[in-house]
Amino acid sequence: MANSIQQSSDDILQVEEGSLYPALQRMLIKGWVTAEWGVTSGNRRARYYRLTPAGRKQLVLELSQFQRVFGAINRVIQIA
Amino acid sequence: MLFDEALRRLRMLFQGKQFQNELDEEMRLHLELRQEHHLGSGLSRDAARSAANRQFGNITSIQETSYRAWGWGWLESLLQDLRYGIRSIFRSPALTLVALLSLALAIGANTAIFSLLDAIMLRSLPVKNPTQLVVLGEGKEAGTTDRYGSTTLYSYPFYRQFQQKNLVFSDVAAILSMWSGVHGTIDGSDQTVLMKVQPVSGTYFSMLGVQPAIGRALAETDDTSEGDHPVAFISDAWWKRGLASDPAVLHRKIKLGTTTFDIVGVAPPEFFGTKVGEAPDIWVPMSMMKSVPPNWDGYKDNFFQSMLIMGRLKPGVSSEQATSNVNVLYQQIIRAFPDVNLNPKNTADLSKAHVVLTPMATGLSNLRYSFSEPLKILMAVTALVLLIACANIANLLLARSTARLREFAVRQALGARRIRIVRQLLTESLLLALLGGLLGVGLAAFADRLLLRLISDGADILPLDVSLNTRLLLFNFAVTVATAVLFGIVPALRGTRVELTDALKDGRGPSSGSSRSPLGKALIVTQVAISLVLMVGALLFLRSLVNLANVDTGFNRQGVLRLQIDSNVTGLKGSDPRMIAMFQEIEQRVSALPGVKAASFASFLFGQGSWNTHIHVVGMTTSDNVNIKHNVIGNAYFATMHIPLLAGRTFGPQDTSTSRRVAIISEHMAKTLFPAGVNPIGHHYFIGNDLLPINDVEVIGIVKDVKFHNLQEPPQYIDYIPNPQHPWGYGSFAVRYDGNFAAISNAVQQTIHSIDRTLPIYDVTTLDHAVARTITNQRLVAQLSAFFGLLAVFLSCIGIYGLMSYVVGRRTNEIGIRIAIGATRANVRWLVMREIVLLLAVGIAVGIPITLAGSRIVANMLFGLHGIDWVSLLGSVAALLLVGLLAGYLPAQRASRVDPMIALRYE
Repeated sequence: MANSIQQSSDDILQVEEGSLYPALQRMLIKGWVTAEWGVTSGNRRARYYRLTPAGRKQLVLELSQFQRVFGAINRVIQIA
Repeated sequence: MLFDEALRRLRMLFQGKQFQNELDEEMRLHLELRQEHHLGSGLSRDAARSAANRQFGNITSIQETSYRAWGWGWLESLLQDLRYGIRSIFRSPALTLVALLSLALAIGANTAIFSLLDAIMLRSLPVKNPTQLVVLGEGKEAGTTDRYGSTTLYSYPFYRQFQQKNLVFSDVAAILSMWSGVHGTIDGSDQTVLMKVQPVSGTYFSMLGVQPAIGRALAETDDTSEGDHPVAFISDAWWKRGLASDPAVLHRKIKLGTTTFDIVGVAPPEFFGTKVGEAPDIWVPMSMMKSVPPNWDGYKDNFFQSMLIMGRLKPGVSSEQATSNVNVLYQQIIRAFPDVNLNPKNTADLSKAHVVLTPMATGLSNLRYSFSEPLKILMAVTALVLLIACANIANLLLARSTARLREFAVRQALGARRIRIVRQLLTESLLLALLGGLLGVGLAAFADRLLLRLISDGADILPLDVSLNTRLLLFNFAVTVATAVLFGIVPALRGTRVELTDALKDGRGPSSGSSRSPLGKALIVTQVAISLVLMVGALLFLRSLVNLANVDTGFNRQGVLRLQIDSNVTGLKGSDPRMIAMFQEIEQRVSALPGVKAASFASFLFGQGSWNTHIHVVGMTTSDNVNIKHNVIGNAYFATMHIPLLAGRTFGPQDTSTSRRVAIISEHMAKTLFPAGVNPIGHHYFIGNDLLPINDVEVIGIVKDVKFHNLQEPPQYIDYIPNPQHPWGYGSFAVRYDGNFAAISNAVQQTIHSIDRTLPIYDVTTLDHAVARTITNQRLVAQLSAFFGLLAVFLSCIGIYGLMSYVVGRRTNEIGIRIAIGATRANVRWLVMREIVLLLAVGIAVGIPITLAGSRIVANMLFGLHGIDWVSLLGSVAALLLVGLLAGYLPAQRASRVDPMIALRYE
């Protein structure tokens, strides 16, 4: 997950990998994701987190909010 | 949504272990994966691992943050504190034992007294909207009176008119102010059973809103015409006790006197009537009043004033509106009775009368009048004892927290926040308090039963519910938590205010010893002051009790057996010649028993109520305020009671129903109510207000004054009348005897039963015991306050001992130096004792004014003690000094034995 963030942002965004865990816990509590053990393509055990319908709804909500704020910031910057 | 979330959090709580393992596993896999990744890109094994770790962050911190995200951190630390608290409790078992014991006693005592207070004074009646209920007048009287202007007792016809005419009550009911103990039979059995029977108006249960548990309650239709509604409603307690909870109770019958009553219903378990402490077994409609022994004939009598009237205020009617309406009706109704006698005196009395309305949400109670003051005092006493216990524990904890200074310093140095340590210390005190509280509840449950037995003056335990209830447990819990905070907060704050470097260096610096004891000393001074108050109180009550017990009753209370019979079961009237003969036969046959010296009936032995009227002495003006207590007696009464005859003669066989009417009067009556200088013997007076020949009696003797109703009363006006001339359906029988009580009691009862097999005999005891019963509440207060006084002093001594041991411990090196440079053992001992003497002196000085103020509050509860009682005060001061010095002597002695070499090496 940390990898994918790093790669898709072209190495601009780097996260401390461990800090994902507390965030994941909070999402587990809210019921936005579920976790289960699985096996990776490299035949390793790993935990898979999957978005729940509630999580998907929340994602859409957060995204739209983010885009609104981002759009606003963008406009402010352009005026300046 | 929220519910789901709570569920997930809970699941996490219960699967905490698994959760943590999974998280660990996940992180480990993560790290391995990353490490391999780095290895793959050509790093060495070590470099790969550290790179992976760097990228990951602080593992422990992340684990904790993840864990804490679930919101159970507080529980975790609470459990931690509790575990630690339990361990530290076991670490110092002596301290724990003392703390727990004193807490348990103090909390237990508070709870027990409160539960009694609650049952007698605070608890609302278990009826519908009890706050709407009021009683006319003050509800304090019981009996019957024909006096004009009676505002507490009313006649039944008055109740009926009042019920119809009033505009302010939605419902009105009347109960007879006197209940009768009737020996009835169940279902025609020949075994009599004592039942408490309470006649009530038909509206009683509907007004209270009491729903029957079985069958129906009494109703207005049961109270429409006199004598033909033989129905009974029984209490739950009596249904269980008397009828073994028979489900077919509605088919059973009770015979009271000559009338058989059908049981129509059973009251709900919580309903005990409207008088706290007097739970009737059976309620019958007022219409049957005349059929229930002692067969009061008052259903149609306008001036047989013996009812309490209670009403439920209509919603929105204020107390003032109700009072004014009631008073208007009061005058109207009484003045309109056809047989009203409006002579000037009665008119004046009537015009003066003002009916007050008394709220009766908590019910009526005669107990309340006698016990409210003692209970309040005892509540205050137990609260003070609790305060002492708190001070004590605070002191012990203070000492301990000082001893743990290093521990706290280390923890703070390692980064613990102060609030965290305070919280842990408070958890420990709370744990201690809760344990103490729990023990206290157990103790209270036991003490309550003991208390109830102490305040119940007869053979029967008062019908009060003092079992533990929610309110009580809440009270107890509140007290406990308050206690914990009280004794825990100061040591906790003190103990954690640490100069880190000093404490870590050792904590044995010269400054820390002296800076911490002022608080401890203040606590000791408080304890001593409170102890003094409690001790003086205890001594005052004890001395008052001794004074009461030594009161000269005027009769010889030793060596007399007394018992009650219920002559109503014979169905004869008291004036029936057969009845008079039966009483005389019992007196004669019992007197003839071996070991019996004399035996006599009387209408009243000590403390059994009275029959009083005005009298008119020939040649004297009568005062309305003078009431004479009359006692109808058998011929051997004075011989039985050992009441000395001062002049004239006692009654004999010559005083019959047809002979000249005679009376014997008390000394006080002879001296104050008869013309001066004239021998009262041979003088005549009239009993009652009417100067009719039938009321005229001649004085034939004068006897010494006796106490009639209680031990505190001043000399009374008493006269004695022979039974044949004013026949009385006797109940009380006194026998003067020699020898074994049990043997005599058996012989007497057998003799009575040989004369009439059906006569129920009950309340068999000694006269001495009957007299002692009348000072039950004084005894209760004296015994309990003595117990608590001793407890207080004992706790204070532990406090003094604890503090001084602690101080001596901390000053060991100073003492060592003193000894090394030449101080003698005596010097050292005095060094310590001086401090104790100072503490005691200050405590006593603070306590004396409080004591004096306090003893003024209880002054009216004391007997034969006036002003400042120096004996109690000086005695308490001396005793407190003595035990205080004893408690301090041990540490002082230990200080004087300090070996200077060891003490100095310790430095």
